[in-house]
Amino acid sequence: MDDKDQMGATATMLATVVAFVLALLAFYGLDHFIMAIQGLPLNLDLSPAG
Amino acid sequence: MNNDTVQITGRNQLLLRIFLVAVFLFGLVGSNLSYAADVGVSSSSVAARIAPVGRVQIEGQEPIPENVASKSESEVPELIAAPRPSRGDYPDIGVSSRAVVWILAQMHLFFGALVLAVPLFVLVIELMGFKTGDERYDDMAHEFMKISLTGFSITAIFGGSLALALFVLYPDLMGYMMRVFGAQWLVYAGLFFLESFFLYTYYYGWKAMRYGNLKWVHLTLGLLLNASGMTIMVLSNSWATFMMAPSGVNEVGAVVGNIWEIMKGPLWNPINLHRFIANIAFGGAVVGAYAAFKFLSTSDPEKRAHYDWMGYTSNFIAILAFLPLPFAGYWLMAEIYAYSQQMGITAMGGILAWLFIVQAVLIGTILLAGNFYLWSGMSRTEGSVRYQPLIKYIAFVLVICFLTWVTPHTLILSASEIAELGGSHHHILGPLGIMPAKNIAVNLMLVVTFLSFQLYRRSDKVATVPWAKAGNALLVAIYVVAMVNIIFLGVYYGYFTNTVYKVGSSVAQVGSTLVVIIAGIVIDSLMFKNAKTLPSHWGKIPDRSQYALFALPIAFTWLMGLMGYVRSSVKTHWHVYTVMKDNSPDNFIPTIGYAGNMITIVTVLFLLFVLFMFWVANLSATKQPKPVAALEGGEA
Amino acid sequence: MLAKTLGFSLALTLVFTLVTYLLPQVEGEAPVEPKVDLGSLTMDDFVALGENLFNNKGTCTLCHKPPPLGRAPDIAGMDMLATSSKRLADERYKGKAKDAEGYIRESLVDPSKYVVATWGKKGTNDSVSPMPAVDKAPIQLSVMEMDAIIAYLQAKDGNEVTVSLPSPEAAAEVAAAAPAQGAAAAPVLAATPEEALQKYTCTACHSMTSKDALVGPGLLDVGARLSADQIRQSIIDPNAVISEGFPAAMPADFAAKMTVKELEMIVNYLAEKKQ
Repeated sequence: MDDKDQMGATATMLATVVAFVLALLAFYGLDHFIMAIQGLPLNLDLSPAG
Repeated sequence: MNNDTVQITGRNQLLLRIFLVAVFLFGLVGSNLSYAADVGVSSSSVAARIAPVGRVQIEGQEPIPENVASKSESEVPELIAAPRPSRGDYPDIGVSSRAVVWILAQMHLFFGALVLAVPLFVLVIELMGFKTGDERYDDMAHEFMKISLTGFSITAIFGGSLALALFVLYPDLMGYMMRVFGAQWLVYAGLFFLESFFLYTYYYGWKAMRYGNLKWVHLTLGLLLNASGMTIMVLSNSWATFMMAPSGVNEVGAVVGNIWEIMKGPLWNPINLHRFIANIAFGGAVVGAYAAFKFLSTSDPEKRAHYDWMGYTSNFIAILAFLPLPFAGYWLMAEIYAYSQQMGITAMGGILAWLFIVQAVLIGTILLAGNFYLWSGMSRTEGSVRYQPLIKYIAFVLVICFLTWVTPHTLILSASEIAELGGSHHHILGPLGIMPAKNIAVNLMLVVTFLSFQLYRRSDKVATVPWAKAGNALLVAIYVVAMVNIIFLGVYYGYFTNTVYKVGSSVAQVGSTLVVIIAGIVIDSLMFKNAKTLPSHWGKIPDRSQYALFALPIAFTWLMGLMGYVRSSVKTHWHVYTVMKDNSPDNFIPTIGYAGNMITIVTVLFLLFVLFMFWVANLSATKQPKPVAALEGGEA
Repeated sequence: MLAKTLGFSLALTLVFTLVTYLLPQVEGEAPVEPKVDLGSLTMDDFVALGENLFNNKGTCTLCHKPPPLGRAPDIAGMDMLATSSKRLADERYKGKAKDAEGYIRESLVDPSKYVVATWGKKGTNDSVSPMPAVDKAPIQLSVMEMDAIIAYLQAKDGNEVTVSLPSPEAAAEVAAAAPAQGAAAAPVLAATPEEALQKYTCTACHSMTSKDALVGPGLLDVGARLSADQIRQSIIDPNAVISEGFPAAMPADFAAKMTVKELEMIVNYLAEKKQ
């Protein structure tokens, strides 16, 4: 319920932005990791390396 | 409600130890049995050790020279190649031998899957009942066992018929398989004694071992029932995987390895995992149909509530087990490709490729039915209203993905059709026909199915933790980024890089889906601690939702039959791939229409046998009322 | 209720069945051995046979397809003479072929000898080829069939065909490769002298590593004592000459059980054992 929720509108928006940044970083890392363990290295822009 | 935590008293502690020791002992016994089987194969060394030392000679006669060659022959194993039967060597009973074995094998597999799966989730439900103290769990577990009990006999009947058919119709193949597997089949047969023992004590002892320490004994029996069933399955799986990818034999099929090398081929564990998970999904779907039928057959609100709950639990089991299934299947296909690229391509890029379009239709049905049931179930709670608007978007994604998945790539076209199409492939829809598009589709379908599931689970709760909004923001971000990632991986690596990266990117897609599922489970379990519960009403669900619970097992059954067709056909004209050629009159891969007919026959047969199984379960609870004596003054 | 349930279930089942009827109906025939009449075979026929094998029994087109579907280089679409020359000139090439014909033949029987870049098995850095050896199961092409395919691959681009038409010996090999009649288990041929010695249990009576007698004489130096002919005679007619002090215990039926190949292998092996 709203009375228990401590966050206002700006805080929610900030939380959303932070959440998206975290998620993007996490999945970027996941892509690198999973391709690397299969012997398929990637460049920083996620294109196939070598 | 009993909220006492289970206090590990002296007696409980003892029984807990007995429980664990029983598990350990079973493992020990099991591995020893297989070791004994292994040793049993090399019986010649035993004969050598007990050969007579001296020789009886008649006095005065020349010493008889030892027949050295025969003595040492028994010490050296003879290399015998696989048989090469000609067409005439195959018995002809007037109907297609393959069709007979197909039907018997598939029926055996259907019921085998069912009776392996049910004790698994029954044990889990029983454990939950024991932990929470809620009697309803225990009663439902007992009911699940009751309705599937006849299934064990039916499995055995079909197993026996299958064995008979195989030995009569394919004697050379079976002779070879017996030679390869040696005494392993004895272990298999012996396990049935063990499984039956645990089954009957587990089921019939349910009420006798209901509480306290005896309940621990009962749970142990259930565990051992599952363990023996699981061992039976992995043993018979080794026969099937040996035929696809033989190991432990040389190029002409002579046995050169021990029984472990023969069993542990490249496909054994992928099939074990795939069948283990698929059995659970299948079992859940079948008992769900029972619940749906009982729900629709009664107007008593209490009964309807009970069967609604039962149907929900069954669907939960079926969908939960279904989600990781594509990954197990992917592992299996990857191992097939690694073992033989030729076999892999026959399955997915060659003659059997169209089959996977049919598979898409079936899995689409399963996902649509599962989702539809979850959305219908939202009617049970008032808290679901806030999530209702999302349903149309989920439905939209499901439909688009389903259509993508069903789109074929290579069509057999006439010259005029090619001219109309502007080429051998459609320039827009063509790219949707290859694997990257399919991978995008299936992963997105799994993600939104999990979303339906998560929304349903939330719909009777309100979070009370202070970080709820942030938690939700994180969840939304994970969902969105995961879906974008899945699409990116599929499109970029699928269409703009080479084959190896294309194939590797599908693993990352699967990883993304798994991240969503795991994150969803973890965040929700944390967020809804001490949540406020909104009222929910079991039984308050539209009737049409129950048809989704009929659709699930039908689609699952048909899908199992279809996959059996693939598994067998991918060996092309070989009984045992590369080792023993199939020279029977049926040594060709049948058309998909023929396979469709066969699969439909077994599906209908299965339906009838399952109805019989459920009917027998209800029959045992029916009591015919004693006829009342003729009324006084009535007609004689 | 039962009727509704059954009706719904049957209807759904029939929907799935109908889907299978809508698809192209293809039967996967077991490979039929192409019949070759050597008496009237022309080079054109041979090339046509090669094309037939390429598309059917050889299962080449399963992987060798044009991009993006191909799992192997699109050899049907490439000029094989030019391609082979390029491969032979590659610094990574470590095989034994000297010309296009040799390169193609080597690729057929030992595909991992040279793996074209990016087509190797995943994780092997292009050192292992996913292609099976075509002269082994499950494809099992004979020498004549492989020659036919090479002829096809050369002729299709308009290049000179360097393989010759099959001789009667090659035809005999094709006939021998046809599935044997009868379900009797075919005994396995020993591939090395050691396997042969084990198969015929020689080591039960003869030591290979010392001069000491077990039941029969030790064979460590048999090559110095006996000529190859004498060794051969000892095996196929053991009772003709028996070493002094030894019983007439050696099996006399090796001549019937051993193949010529196995016998020669053993004789040559023993003849080398001079110390």
